[in-house]
Amino acid sequence: MGLIAQAVASGVVTGAVYALIALSLVMIYKSTDVINFAGGDLLMTGCYGALMVLAANAPFWVAAMVSVLGIAVIGAGFDRLVLDRIARHTRGQDIMVAMVTATIGLSYVLKGTIRALGYADEVRSLPPQFTGPPIMIGDVFLLRQDIGILACAALAGLILFLFFRFTRLGRGLRATAEDPRAAALIGIPIRRMRMLIWAIASAIAAFAGVLVAPKILMTPDMGGIVILAFAAGVIGGFTNFPGVVIGGILLGVIENLVGLFVSAQAIAVAPFLVIMLVLVLRPQGLFGGGALAIRKV
Amino acid sequence: MKIRSAWLAATLFLGLGGAAQAFPVGDPVGPYADPGITDKEIVIGLFGPQSGPLRNFGFDPQGAAQMWYDMVNKSGGIWGRKIRLVIEDDKCDPTTLNGVVRKLVTVDKVFLLNGGSCTPAAVSAQEYITREKVPMVMLNAAGDTALFPPTRYMFGAFGGTQLTVGGTMVDFIAKELKAKTLGYLGNDDDFGSANLAAAKYMAEQRGVKLVAVERVPVNIVDITTPMLRIRQANPDVVMITTYPQPATLAMQKVNEFGLTMPVVMAVQSIPNPAALVKNIGGTAAFKSFYYSSPLNDLTDGPRQQWVHDMYKAAFPDRTPTAFMAYGMPSAQAVTYALMLAGPNPTRESFVDAMSHLKFETGIMAGPIEFGPERRDGMNSSIFIKFDGTNAARMPGVFVNEYRGQK
Amino acid sequence: MRRIVVAFLLAALAAVAVPLVLPAYGVFMANMLLMYAVLALGLDVLLGLAGQFAFAHVAFFGLGVYVTALLGNRYGLSFPFPLLTGAAFAGVVAVLIAVPALRLRQVYLALTTYAFAAAAQWVFHSWDSVTEGSNGLRIATTNLAGWRIIDDNDAYPLMLAIALAMLLARLALERSRLGLRMAAVHESEPVALASGIDAKRIKIIAFGVSGVFAGVAGGMLPLFNSYVHPDTFGLETLVVVLTMVVVGGLGSVWGVLAGVLVMGALPEVMRDLQVFREIVYGALLILSVMFMPRGIAGLVRR
Repeated sequence: MGLIAQAVASGVVTGAVYALIALSLVMIYKSTDVINFAGGDLLMTGCYGALMVLAANAPFWVAAMVSVLGIAVIGAGFDRLVLDRIARHTRGQDIMVAMVTATIGLSYVLKGTIRALGYADEVRSLPPQFTGPPIMIGDVFLLRQDIGILACAALAGLILFLFFRFTRLGRGLRATAEDPRAAALIGIPIRRMRMLIWAIASAIAAFAGVLVAPKILMTPDMGGIVILAFAAGVIGGFTNFPGVVIGGILLGVIENLVGLFVSAQAIAVAPFLVIMLVLVLRPQGLFGGGALAIRKV
Repeated sequence: MKIRSAWLAATLFLGLGGAAQAFPVGDPVGPYADPGITDKEIVIGLFGPQSGPLRNFGFDPQGAAQMWYDMVNKSGGIWGRKIRLVIEDDKCDPTTLNGVVRKLVTVDKVFLLNGGSCTPAAVSAQEYITREKVPMVMLNAAGDTALFPPTRYMFGAFGGTQLTVGGTMVDFIAKELKAKTLGYLGNDDDFGSANLAAAKYMAEQRGVKLVAVERVPVNIVDITTPMLRIRQANPDVVMITTYPQPATLAMQKVNEFGLTMPVVMAVQSIPNPAALVKNIGGTAAFKSFYYSSPLNDLTDGPRQQWVHDMYKAAFPDRTPTAFMAYGMPSAQAVTYALMLAGPNPTRESFVDAMSHLKFETGIMAGPIEFGPERRDGMNSSIFIKFDGTNAARMPGVFVNEYRGQK
Repeated sequence: MRRIVVAFLLAALAAVAVPLVLPAYGVFMANMLLMYAVLALGLDVLLGLAGQFAFAHVAFFGLGVYVTALLGNRYGLSFPFPLLTGAAFAGVVAVLIAVPALRLRQVYLALTTYAFAAAAQWVFHSWDSVTEGSNGLRIATTNLAGWRIIDDNDAYPLMLAIALAMLLARLALERSRLGLRMAAVHESEPVALASGIDAKRIKIIAFGVSGVFAGVAGGMLPLFNSYVHPDTFGLETLVVVLTMVVVGGLGSVWGVLAGVLVMGALPEVMRDLQVFREIVYGALLILSVMFMPRGIAGLVRR
C-alpha cells in the first residue's frame, strides 16, 4: 500500500512539472493556434542561462531573473521576426505546417547553441529553491522542492485562468485567437498582443525550468519533455488552464502506476497511448470545451 | 510548369554531374596489393563522434589515439612509414557511420579503420568491412553485438564490453561486499541486455540472488517506481548500470529514501563523480559507494599520470573527460600489430598479427588480448570507493567470466 | 510535353551514369537519396497535395523496413515480394489509423499521428523477439530470383527503378481526378464538400497512399543496408523528411526532389563545421519558411 501511495505522490509532483510546461504551450495555442515544439527547448535554454549566470557567482535570484527575461526576449523576438512574417507571406492552408516547422527550427537552433557553447551531455542541475528536511505524510516522502513545484503549477494555472477570463488584455488575446479579423477591426493591436503572449509563455517556460531542474536534471536534450507536456494538455483539454494542470498531474500518476504495475519499460509508451486514446475517444480531454472545437465539421 | 520542370531536371542532372567531380577515383598505388600503404606512409581512417549528443564518448578518446600516432611518427614511424590520419565524424549514428566508413575506404583509400565509440554505429559497419576485407579496430566502443560471435576483421572492446562491466560488478559485489542478494537497475537497450546477461551469469556462479531487476527507458523522468521496488526487495547491495541521467535520478532516490546498503555503479553511470555529488546536493548517500573502472587507477591517479601529461602536451587547451585514456589502447594495438606484421604489412597480415596480440597497455585494468576466436580486447575492471569527497582504489583486479555461454 | 520527355531522359542518363562515375561512397549516398526521395514524395502527398497535417510517416517507414527485412531474413523470399508486402502492410495500417485520426482538427491530427509514430518506435524497440530491439536487426542480402544483391552498385539499378516508378506514380496522381480532388480538399474543405467531394474518403485515401510510399521506401532500405536500428524511426528522421518537403516546396514534385538533394548534400557540405550542424539546420528551416514559403519550387516558379 505504501508503495502505491508513494508512487502516486511522486507522480503528482512529476505531473506538476508537465503541467507547468503545458501551461506555456496552451497559452500560445489558445492565443495563436500555434503548437510550439520549441517549448521544451526554451525551458532548457532558460536552465542553462541560469547556470551560466550562477557560474559568474551571481546570487540565485539574479540568475533566475536573467534567465526568465532572456527567454522572454527570445520568445518575443521569435514571434516578431519569424512567425509574424510567416503569417503574412504564406498561403492560408500552409501556415500551420510552416509555423510548426519554424518552431522545430527554433528547437534545433537552441539545442545547437547550447551544445556549441560547450555544454555537452554531462548531467547538470540547479540548486533547489525550497530546501529543508523533507515532509513526511504517513509513509509518503516529499521534498520541499516537490511541494514548491506543485504549488507553483497550481498557482500558475489559476493566474492564467483568471487572466484570460477576467482581464481586458486576456479577453483581447482570446478574441485575437478566435477571430483575428474581427479583433483587428475593433482595434486590438494583434501583432503586439501575439508578441506579448510569446514573451509571457516563454517566461513561464524558463521559470518552470529553473524550478524543476533540480528534480529532472539538465542535459541539452531535456527539451524532449515537451511531448509529455503535450500529453498533459491533451488530457486536460488543450484550451483550459486548470484542466491542463489536472491533466498533467493525472499523466504523472498514470505513468507511475504503469511503472508500478506493468514495468518501467512501459512508462516510455504510456504518454503516447494516452494521447491517442484521449484524442480518439474524448478529444476535448477532461475539461476542454466542446468536441466541436477539436473535431472537423 | 513544363519549361520550368525541364530546367529543374537539368539542374538536378548538372548537380549530380558536378558532384561526381568531387570524388576522385583511383586504384591502389605501386607494388602494394592493398590501398593506403606506400613506401612512405600508412593511411588510417580515424573516426568517432565529434558532434551531436554523444560527442563526449568519442571526442577525447579520438584525441588520445591521435596523440599516440603523433608520438609514433615522431619516433620514426612504423617500418619507416609515417602514419597519416584521415579523421571523420560519425555522430555515433549508424547511417552516418556507414557513409563515413564507405568514404574512408573508397575515397580516402585507407589501409585500415580505427574508430567507433558507440556500439550501434560500430556494429552497423560490420557487414561492409567483412565483405570488403578491411580491418576495423574500434576505438572505445564496447561493441558487444559485433564481437560476439567474433568475425575476422572486427576488433574492439578496449575499454571492456558491457559483459565485462556487468560481470565484474557482480564479482566485486560477491567477493568484496559479501552480498547474498542484489537489486539491479539497468537500461532497457542493448547495453542493458548485455550487462544484465553477464550479471545474471556471474550472480549464479557466485551464489548471489537477484531479488530485483529493473530496466528503465533511457529518457525516464521519474524513477520513483523502479527504485521503490528495489527498496521493497531489500537487497544487500544495489547495482546501478544506467546512463548518467537515470543514474543520477536513482542516486537522488537513494538519498531521499535514506537507503543504507552499499551502492555500486557502473563506469558509464558516473563519468564525473564530483558532478554527481553536486547534482545530489550532498555526500550523505555516499557512505558506502563504489564504482567500476576499466582503467588501472583513478583517472587522476599516479598510474594514469603519463597519459594525462601526454594529452596536456598535445592539446594544451582541452580538459579531458574521464574517457580520454580509453582511446590509447586501441591505437597501441594497431601500432603493435602493424609492427608485428612485418616490414611490408598487408591487411591480412595485420589481421593475423592482431589475432595473436597480447600486451599490457599501462592504462587499462587488464591486458589487451585477442585470439583466433576472440575479438573483445579487455575483460577486467577495478573498483573505486568514493565517499563524496575522496576516492580510493579498492584492491584487486576483477575479471569477467561470461562470454555468452548458456 | 516534349520538353518534359527530354528533361526526363537527361536526368535518367545522369542517374544511370552514377555507379560508373562515383566510388562506392557516392553510390551509397545516391541510394540513400533515392530512398529519401520516395519518403519525401510520400509525405508530400499528405502534407502538400492533400494538405493533411500528419506526422505518422516514420512509423510506416519502419513497418516497411521490418516487414521487408524479416520476410527476406526468415523466408528468403525474392524481391519484389517482401517490399510489396511491406508497402501494402504500411498502407493498410495508414488507412486504419486515418479513420479515427481524421476526425480531428489540424493540430490534434498532428499530435495524435505523432503519438502513433512514437508508440510504433517503442514497439520496434521493445518487441525484441521479432525486431531484435535495440541490438539492431541484421538484414540478409536481398534475393533477386536467385541472384544476391551484395553491394551498393548491385542495389543501385533497383533503387533507381523503384524511385522512378514512385515518381511516375506521384506525377500520375497529381494529374488524376483523385489528385485534383485532394488539391481541392487542401484548398478549402467546405468548398470541396459543397462541390460534392467526399472529403473524408479522399483524405483517408491520401493517408493510405502516403503510407504506401513510406512502406516502399522502407522496402528500399534493406536493399543497401545490412543493419537497422529502431533509433532510425524517430523524431530525427521525421524532421529530416519534413525539412526536405518544406524546403523543397509543399505540393511540388520537382521542388521536393530538389529539397531531398539539398538536405542530403548538407552534411557533406558541412563536413568541417560539425559543431554548428544543429544551428545551421535549424536556421535553414526557419529561414526557408520565412523567405521561401513555397520552397525551392516557389523560387523557380516566379
